[in-house]
Amino acid sequence: MSESFKSREEIFERLKVVLVDLFELKAEKIVPEAHLYDDLDIDSIDAVDLFLTLKEITGRKIQPQAFKDVRTVNDVIDAIQTLTSQPSS
Amino acid sequence: MSSGDRKLNRVWRILATGFVFVLFGVGALVISVTMFPALRLSTRNADTARRRIQRGMQMVFRGFMETMRVLGICTYRVEGAERLREPGRLIVANHPTLVDVVLLVSQMPEVDCIVKRGLWRNPFLRWPVSWAGYLQNAAGEELVDQCSATLRRGHSLLVFPEGTRSVPGEPLRMQRGAAHIALAADAQILPVRITCDPPTLFKGNPWYRVPARPFHLLMVVGEPVAARTFLRENEAPARTARRLTQWMLTQLDAGGVPQPEDPETSESSWLAPGQQSLVR
Repeated sequence: MSESFKSREEIFERLKVVLVDLFELKAEKIVPEAHLYDDLDIDSIDAVDLFLTLKEITGRKIQPQAFKDVRTVNDVIDAIQTLTSQPSS
Repeated sequence: MSSGDRKLNRVWRILATGFVFVLFGVGALVISVTMFPALRLSTRNADTARRRIQRGMQMVFRGFMETMRVLGICTYRVEGAERLREPGRLIVANHPTLVDVVLLVSQMPEVDCIVKRGLWRNPFLRWPVSWAGYLQNAAGEELVDQCSATLRRGHSLLVFPEGTRSVPGEPLRMQRGAAHIALAADAQILPVRITCDPPTLFKGNPWYRVPARPFHLLMVVGEPVAARTFLRENEAPARTARRLTQWMLTQLDAGGVPQPEDPETSESSWLAPGQQSLVR
């Protein structure tokens, strides 16, 4: 059930849907510069839910290490790009 | 009560409060090298020792509350205390003052608490705290797992969802950890609403800023609610936790939180019913 992404835009739009759905956020608040914890109130336990969903979407195994330094929405997009550009294991 | 009497009473309460703080510190030290080790050594079974130590804590804290009452520092009342004595419940309470923990634990023969990490580094308290079966304030998921495990073992657990003392006059800021624990453990949640009137020993309030009159601590224990009643089909845990936290907020927020009173100007509560002014 993995989806393929062509551009950052696509990733961003998909991520936006996920965040609104998982955390009941307002779509307007989700901008690439948004800070996950400070702006969007996504804490470390929420992050686990987020990883599980991303795992489903990308079809890749998420290594928590890859997301260790993720702080903003931009960081998440970067991490997803890195993940999906690798050959699937 | 004349203005002079009020001033005298306040001076007395400042002294009494200072005394009680010293008593607490010295008492903790003494107990950590006498009562706690004695209770631990009284049995080989670590779990039996834990229960004895927790009961010991209840007695000590009860004595402490009575001391404060007798010295005229505060009065207190608990409604629904019997609900606290059923084991295996997740007790969630708001946290207006330093004293609320003492009152809560004084009402419960056995309860696990989450304690800040710093205490484990304290040479006197690190062993007693772990013998008592208390939990370290670890990060995120790890803490939820530990708390959920202790609840599933049938212990009661006390959690302050705010994570810190509230600021009087400001709305409560709840973190979602308590909700995550409740859901992970499929717990019976027992909400406890605490009011401290006038606000005393709140965040940023030093011990010597004693209020204009003795403070009254009221603790109202609600009815238990099962965490599973909040579950909805196919809902992400993150959303359930948010909804549950919202519910906890409504249970624990007293709404009209008393404002701190200026001891110099506050007169009204000293008036007897029908009395118009303090000058007789």
